[in-house]
Amino acid sequence: MTFVLCGVVSVSHYLVVGAVLFTCGVVCMALKRNALGVLMGIELVLNGANINFVAFGSEYLAGDGRSVLGLDGEVMALFVILLAAAEAAVALAITLNFYNNHATVDVDRADDLHG
Amino acid sequence: MNHEAFGLSTNLFAFLDWHGFFFLLFAGVACVAAVMVVLSDNVVRMALHLVLSLGATAGLFFLAGAEFVGAMQLMIYVGGTLVLLVFGVMLTAQTQLVALRTPAGDRVIAGILAASLLAVLVQAAFSIESWQKSGQGVATAPTATPLGMALVGVRVDQVEEENLVRPKSGYLLPFEIVSVHLLVVLVGAAYLARAKRRRVPRSVDLVASADSTKPMSSVAASSTLVAGGPK
Amino acid sequence: MAAAQLLPILLGIAWLIPLASFVAILFFGTRMGAHGKGAATVATSAIGASLFLSLVALVAWTMAGHPVPSPHHDEGHASVMKTDAGQSSGSVQPVAFRSPGLSDAEGSHVSGHEEHVSSISYSGDWYTLYASRSLRLSIGWYIDSLTVLMFVVVTFIATCIHIYAAGYMHDELHDVTDSEVQLATGEPLHREGRFHRFFQALSLFCFSMLGIVIAGNLAMVFIFWELVGICSWFLIGFYFERHSASTAANKAFIVNRVGDFGMLIGLMALWGGLGTLHFGDSVNSATDQVEPGLFELVRPAENHHEQQVPDGLVVFAAADQIEKMAAGNPSRSELRREVAAAVPGWREQGYGRWLLFVAGLGIFCGCVGKSAQVPLFVWLPDAMEGPTPVSALVHSATMVAAGVYLVGRFFPVLTPDVLLVIAYTGGVTLFIAATIAITATDIKRVLAYSTVSQLGYMMLALGVGGWVAGLFHLITHAFFKSLLFLCSGSVIHACHTNDMRKMGGLLKVMPYTAWTMLIGCLAIIGAGVPFVLGFSGYYSKDAILAQALLFSRTNPQHSVLYVAVAGGAFITAFYMFRLWFMTFAGSPRDQHVFEHAHESPRVMTAPLVALAVFAVVAGWALPGGLGVESLLEQSRPAGTAEAITTAGILGNITLPAEHESHVGAIHVTATLTAFLTALAGVLLAAAMYLKPLVSPVAVAHAARPIYTFLVHRWYVDELYNVLFVLPTLGVARFISAIDTQVIDRLINSLAWTARQIASVDAWFDRVVVDGIVNVAGSVTWKAGLELKRVQTGNLRQYVMFIVVGTVAIFVLATLLFRTSFAG
Repeated sequence: MTFVLCGVVSVSHYLVVGAVLFTCGVVCMALKRNALGVLMGIELVLNGANINFVAFGSEYLAGDGRSVLGLDGEVMALFVILLAAAEAAVALAITLNFYNNHATVDVDRADDLHG
Repeated sequence: MNHEAFGLSTNLFAFLDWHGFFFLLFAGVACVAAVMVVLSDNVVRMALHLVLSLGATAGLFFLAGAEFVGAMQLMIYVGGTLVLLVFGVMLTAQTQLVALRTPAGDRVIAGILAASLLAVLVQAAFSIESWQKSGQGVATAPTATPLGMALVGVRVDQVEEENLVRPKSGYLLPFEIVSVHLLVVLVGAAYLARAKRRRVPRSVDLVASADSTKPMSSVAASSTLVAGGPK
Repeated sequence: MAAAQLLPILLGIAWLIPLASFVAILFFGTRMGAHGKGAATVATSAIGASLFLSLVALVAWTMAGHPVPSPHHDEGHASVMKTDAGQSSGSVQPVAFRSPGLSDAEGSHVSGHEEHVSSISYSGDWYTLYASRSLRLSIGWYIDSLTVLMFVVVTFIATCIHIYAAGYMHDELHDVTDSEVQLATGEPLHREGRFHRFFQALSLFCFSMLGIVIAGNLAMVFIFWELVGICSWFLIGFYFERHSASTAANKAFIVNRVGDFGMLIGLMALWGGLGTLHFGDSVNSATDQVEPGLFELVRPAENHHEQQVPDGLVVFAAADQIEKMAAGNPSRSELRREVAAAVPGWREQGYGRWLLFVAGLGIFCGCVGKSAQVPLFVWLPDAMEGPTPVSALVHSATMVAAGVYLVGRFFPVLTPDVLLVIAYTGGVTLFIAATIAITATDIKRVLAYSTVSQLGYMMLALGVGGWVAGLFHLITHAFFKSLLFLCSGSVIHACHTNDMRKMGGLLKVMPYTAWTMLIGCLAIIGAGVPFVLGFSGYYSKDAILAQALLFSRTNPQHSVLYVAVAGGAFITAFYMFRLWFMTFAGSPRDQHVFEHAHESPRVMTAPLVALAVFAVVAGWALPGGLGVESLLEQSRPAGTAEAITTAGILGNITLPAEHESHVGAIHVTATLTAFLTALAGVLLAAAMYLKPLVSPVAVAHAARPIYTFLVHRWYVDELYNVLFVLPTLGVARFISAIDTQVIDRLINSLAWTARQIASVDAWFDRVVVDGIVNVAGSVTWKAGLELKRVQTGNLRQYVMFIVVGTVAIFVLATLLFRTSFAG
């Protein structure tokens, strides 16, 4: 912690944050029965991945002044944000449809296709 | 900025690195809020914590020198996607649905899994030597212009020596694909989420009798709100 | 010359019309009116058209100004002919010899020679099937007066028979109940009528026979020869449901094959030695050169048409000598020159003479089969199983005539030795067949044996050098024998039986039939007022007798032939009038049969009358040399007009010139002999069957051994049965035993082994292979059933699985590829 405070923020630290967000998102997806909760978990997962992209694409964080991904990292992050927005819109529409049909948003009830 | 010059014994405040401070702040907020998203059962609270987490992430982006991405994070995620989510929460906000409890067994299993996944990821994060070197602390040029040029197909950041002869391509095509994709998604979402006409009872009978031998009949019978077709 | 172009066209069309009729009936027969009634019209009009064209051809022949030889009874002219056979004709007849450069491959070609033109013939090819330097097959023609006459006779008689058959076969117009065929249930056979099929086969028969007559080469003759054989098989076996009919058809066919085997040998000998089968000279379309035909090769013009062994056969036979020559390694052309120089010498030494003898004998073998000579005559009486019109056609103008015709056509090539064999064959045949006819009681069988006997006459006549006499008899016989058969058919039609012992007194109820049949009988015995006028048989039989007498005079060691002829004439008269008296004269023997008898319809009696007229007049010599005999004389093979003495394989033979038989002494003796023997025969028959002065039963009793011998037909069938059929059956049984005992057992054991192996294999397949497959299937099935539960549909569970999988992969990758990650 003190290393960080002393100005030694590195790519790895960003990766740790991303890992925490990713794990939280996955747990969120695994635990939430509310479909919107699952959706939020997905957002978290995507955000964790985005942090990694930005970290790898940042020249500021790069140890030798040359980032791993360069501009590509940020472009990827932008696309991920866009796709997340799109995904959120579709997922919400599906959720509403499910709610209309089953009068619930409990994903445990959505098992009509079980084996 | 040479970190060798700043030992542990130095004055914390005098030598406080604001960059490191804000990193810790945003990272902490992002992580804590994310954990809170997981832990809270109320979907409205979950949404609030998510906003916090995403906003803090945007701060992290600013810190990493990706100010355009951070801005987009705030505008699209915090400003757009989460509003959408909140709308969804409100549309489905019935009391019994707001707080659906998860079985304790699942929580335990999920905790174990999360711990192992986190361990794996953190181990991976520190497994490469070069990733642990801190940055030079050199202020970098704003990235908005290169990004914009890259999205229309020109890589100004790569305009150098041999790349003039054999230039790298920009992101014009992916940009177009993503934009069309967004358009399609919005149309599809609007179609899926549109207001449904109530089913005519007679046709329900017809469908029910026609499909009486099939197991789907229960679904059909239970869902009287299924659309009869496009308006 | 107009006739050269006209005749092939006329006769070719006349030949092909029956084929067209056959094809038409074959494809549309069932649609020609009810039960194919129109088929009779089609076939009859076809053969009628052929008859018309043939008559036109005859007129064209006579109008063409062919040489008119001296009438045969004009002895003064005969001597002129003797000294110079072609003296008059050579000037009358401009000979158009087409040059090879004309390159008219299918054009006609008049064979004939600058000086000694004694016969006119046209030959050529319509279509060449295959041509190379050494081998040429073609559809061609060889036309002389014999061809034209045969066309007229065949088509005329066939027309009469077609008309007659249209009435005779009317039973076939509706469903037929054949009481002679018992089905397994004991009921008689009931079948559909086959009217159109009868006429279909009849048309094909006529086409085939005309094909033989017009054929320009031996290969073509052979083709139509076999076609005639198969047609006879169709027609004799027309009532094929009857066992006797199908057996008779098979017998006729198989016996003919025996003869054809000899014919094939003859063909091979000729082709191997001479490389051609054409009768006359012909243009080879491959080389554009005129190739000499068989006749020219055997009787070359430069040799004054005297018979000699052709160079080809000499070289063929002298292979050993040539080998000796070739041993000195001369060049090819040298060798050829040497061989050519040596050929006359070899010929003197007799090389090739045997080959020519074998060739002639082989061809004659085929004729023996077709013309029912001893020893292959057994099929003909059995052929009576066919419908009577068929018998009439087979026995008069078509099938049996083919053999005699071929001998006549092939006459120039036959050596005196072969002719002697032919003469003896004919003599034996005529005698045996005549004796058998004495005791036969089946009306058709009497006629059948009489046919065999008359064919023997013809063969004998040809054999003793009487070319005109033999073929003259062939033509007259065609008329009266078809007449006799049609009469007998009429009788059978009326009485519904073949047995003469149930007939009698039919003269009153069937006057037309009776009187026409009497004409036929008189014609066949050669009745006539000596030296004045007679029935057709009178002339032809006289000619034969005279020739035989001449032959026995010149060759005293062979005078038995004349005895056979004279004796045959007596027996012929006896059995023919026995037949007539038994059938028509006296009182009815079977009242039932007599009461049901009736005269046949007009469609059947009209042909009888027509044929009767010709049976009377066919032998008459018309003014201007238009008689059959003088027409035949125009085509006498070159070089046969003079007497020839040769030292042959069978001793010295003098073949007398035919015109010498017209010399007074011979002629008068022969005529008187014929007249007296015939008269004696008739009187004896009358004494036994008309006025019962002599009881036939008593005679039979007195000469019991002979009578039994004759009733059993000389035991020929039995002899053949013992000699050929039983050994064949024995061998067959032996082979069949080998088949069933050895081969079948071997195969059965093999099959048994295979079965055992297969059952083991099947067990293995069922238990092991299927077991493995089933286990695999059931394991998959059960695994699927179990794994189905994993698909819970629970989203959260899936996410957990994903996490577990991700972590597991990471852990595994870290453990296994630590180095790479670390690096």
